[in-house]
Amino acid sequence: MPLDVIMPALGMAQDTGQIVAWHKTPGEAVAEGDVLFEVETDKATMEVEAQGAGYLVDIAAAAGEEVPVGRVIARIADSPEAGQSAPAADAPAAAPDLPEGTAIIMPALGMAQDTGLLVAWHREPGAAVAAEDILFEVETDKSAMEVPAGAAGYLAAVLAAPGDEVPVGEPVAILTAAAPEAPVVRGFAAGPAPRATPAEAPAAPAPAKAPPPKPAAPPQTAGDGRILASPKARRLAREQGLDLARLAAAGHPQPYHVRDLDALRAMPDRTAAPTTATAARRRLTARAGAEGFARFADWIAAETGARDPAPLLAAFAAASLRQGDGPLSVSVERLGRARAFTDPDRHGLGRAEADASAAAPDIVLRDLRPGPLVSVDLGPEAVPVLTLLSAGDGIDLTLECDAAALTAPEAIAVLTDFAGRLDEPLRHLL
Amino acid sequence: MRQITLSQAVNEALAEEMRRDERVFIIGEDVAEAGTPFKVLSGLVEEFGTGRVVDTPISEPGFMGLAVGAAMTGTRPVVDLMFGDFLFLVMDQLCNQAAKIHYMSGGKLNVPLVLRTNLGATRRSAAQHSQSLHALVAHIPGLKVALPSSAYEAKGLMKTAIRDNNPVVIFEDKLMYNDKAPVPDEEFLIPFGEAKVLREGRDVTLIGTSSMRQVCEKAAEALAAEGISAEVIDPRTLVPLDEATLLASARKTSRVIVVDEGHQSFGITGEIASRINEKAFYHLDAPVQRMGAMDVPVPFSPALEDITVPTPEAVAARARQLVAGEMIDAA
Repeated sequence: MPLDVIMPALGMAQDTGQIVAWHKTPGEAVAEGDVLFEVETDKATMEVEAQGAGYLVDIAAAAGEEVPVGRVIARIADSPEAGQSAPAADAPAAAPDLPEGTAIIMPALGMAQDTGLLVAWHREPGAAVAAEDILFEVETDKSAMEVPAGAAGYLAAVLAAPGDEVPVGEPVAILTAAAPEAPVVRGFAAGPAPRATPAEAPAAPAPAKAPPPKPAAPPQTAGDGRILASPKARRLAREQGLDLARLAAAGHPQPYHVRDLDALRAMPDRTAAPTTATAARRRLTARAGAEGFARFADWIAAETGARDPAPLLAAFAAASLRQGDGPLSVSVERLGRARAFTDPDRHGLGRAEADASAAAPDIVLRDLRPGPLVSVDLGPEAVPVLTLLSAGDGIDLTLECDAAALTAPEAIAVLTDFAGRLDEPLRHLL
Repeated sequence: MRQITLSQAVNEALAEEMRRDERVFIIGEDVAEAGTPFKVLSGLVEEFGTGRVVDTPISEPGFMGLAVGAAMTGTRPVVDLMFGDFLFLVMDQLCNQAAKIHYMSGGKLNVPLVLRTNLGATRRSAAQHSQSLHALVAHIPGLKVALPSSAYEAKGLMKTAIRDNNPVVIFEDKLMYNDKAPVPDEEFLIPFGEAKVLREGRDVTLIGTSSMRQVCEKAAEALAAEGISAEVIDPRTLVPLDEATLLASARKTSRVIVVDEGHQSFGITGEIASRINEKAFYHLDAPVQRMGAMDVPVPFSPALEDITVPTPEAVAARARQLVAGEMIDAA
């Protein structure tokens, strides 16, 4: 006769228990009193012992799972073969006369309690009960307590009589949703335990899943990500526009005090920027062929009548720099004058117009062609500067910026993209 | 300037005020004939007679009640309570009567009474004669509380207390009676509610009451040798409390340790620390620290008694932790 292993009720207000770990593996032999598994409730973690000897089979709940109290989570069988007596197949046979509904079990009223003495029923068989109604009275070695139904329904089956000693976790009653025609009434020893909540019990308990979901690991650091800092350090950081999170991200030990703000001030403006000394500026050079752009400019001129290459170059620069949807302003310095274009990459090619009201540029495009310069190394300016120089039948491109303005990958991407557009302007149309 | 002991300073203050105002009289146990407690009152009965320096039976509630009545009816008693521990015997007379008469009479009556008593452990006087109970009294509205930290303060605060029209409790540190300090020959008074900055500093503020002022000054000297600049402040009166001076210093140094010889829990250190937290929070770079006496009955064993009270070494060690930005007792 297989023995059901159910999720025990370890507290009066406990609806579910989380299986922390199984101490036995499927098919393993167990002796009565062996620790089968560990359960965690909102209050405590407890080890649950086997109520009989046999082989642990049909484990239906893996470590980490929350299981309703009373649910069968495994069986202790006579042989190590799993599924030999699936609960669903067994249940009707074992308890053919029991109604389907919510099983009310003998609660564990003390930590060391194995059984409870059913003192009296407070509801008649067949009666309608509300969740908070006192259903029965239990006496343990320490005290007598009234047990509320915990669920609403009709008292369709009374499975223990006053005076019965009922093991903790065993069903003592079944509540049904509909009024029973003939309520079942018997003593505890009169029949085998019915399936708890038979409607929900799986037909054949699935074997434990291989990687059980792990309970959420406790946070490793100072809890919720809050930064520990003195009130004064916080206030000064706020007043000076400093972000303490950057110190935390850099691994600077907490708590932060006023003196740590010096370290914060010394950090480059963007965390993404490397902090080596050579990273304060960036200068990249590239070469593009002149012919592709020249042909493209001629074609645009023929189509639109616009012969000015500045809007085209601005459009290419903006497209190369663009990362989001926000407005981009490009300042083109050419032939001794500077013109700003807002979102030149969003107008028809060559149709972008200089915008006197444009915001501070996001990039300066300095077209020094034709001219005698062969190289520039002017150092970073307020915004990235892209310089175009004549180089035989090509165009030399130099991108200079502060390390904080563009990360190294960004700078490489911008210049590569821009050079590619000059080489094959049709790409811009794609 | 001449140096006199705290005993002499109190004696001078009493004598000067008794000469100035014939309503002033002293009452208490052994104040006249038996040699006077801690020899503070030597010579007074000879000058003013037993009519103004009044020996009483051993009954603190009796002579305290007598003094409250006398104060209500036109005299200015200075009650001598031999040990601060005996405050428990006069609680009703002091807290229920003296402290409330002015309020409950609608201002028609005053109780210009001074209760002179003492505090301080490490005198090997055991648990019933070593307590520092000023927090009990400071808790009661209607009572002023002064804690002289040297002979100079003892004289100036006593004269102000005698001239106050409301009850004042003065706690002298019984271990300081023979400590000398510069005290001017000419008359002076120290107003209540004015803290004294004894040492200017930049890194940490040490607030010390009564003899803890000396503890703080010694700690500050040790810290100075290490390059830590500590400011030392003596509040001088707890009620009224010179909050402005304490807060200004807290804002300046951002770190504060409050040192007092009363038991640490529910005491003066907690009250002052809390006010600084409330009113200078955004200027604090470290949690305000309380350093009081251990929450134990004062032991009779000298070895044990000495470790129950704050020491210069302990204060300096705590200051070093604060300045170094160490996390103190925090999870």
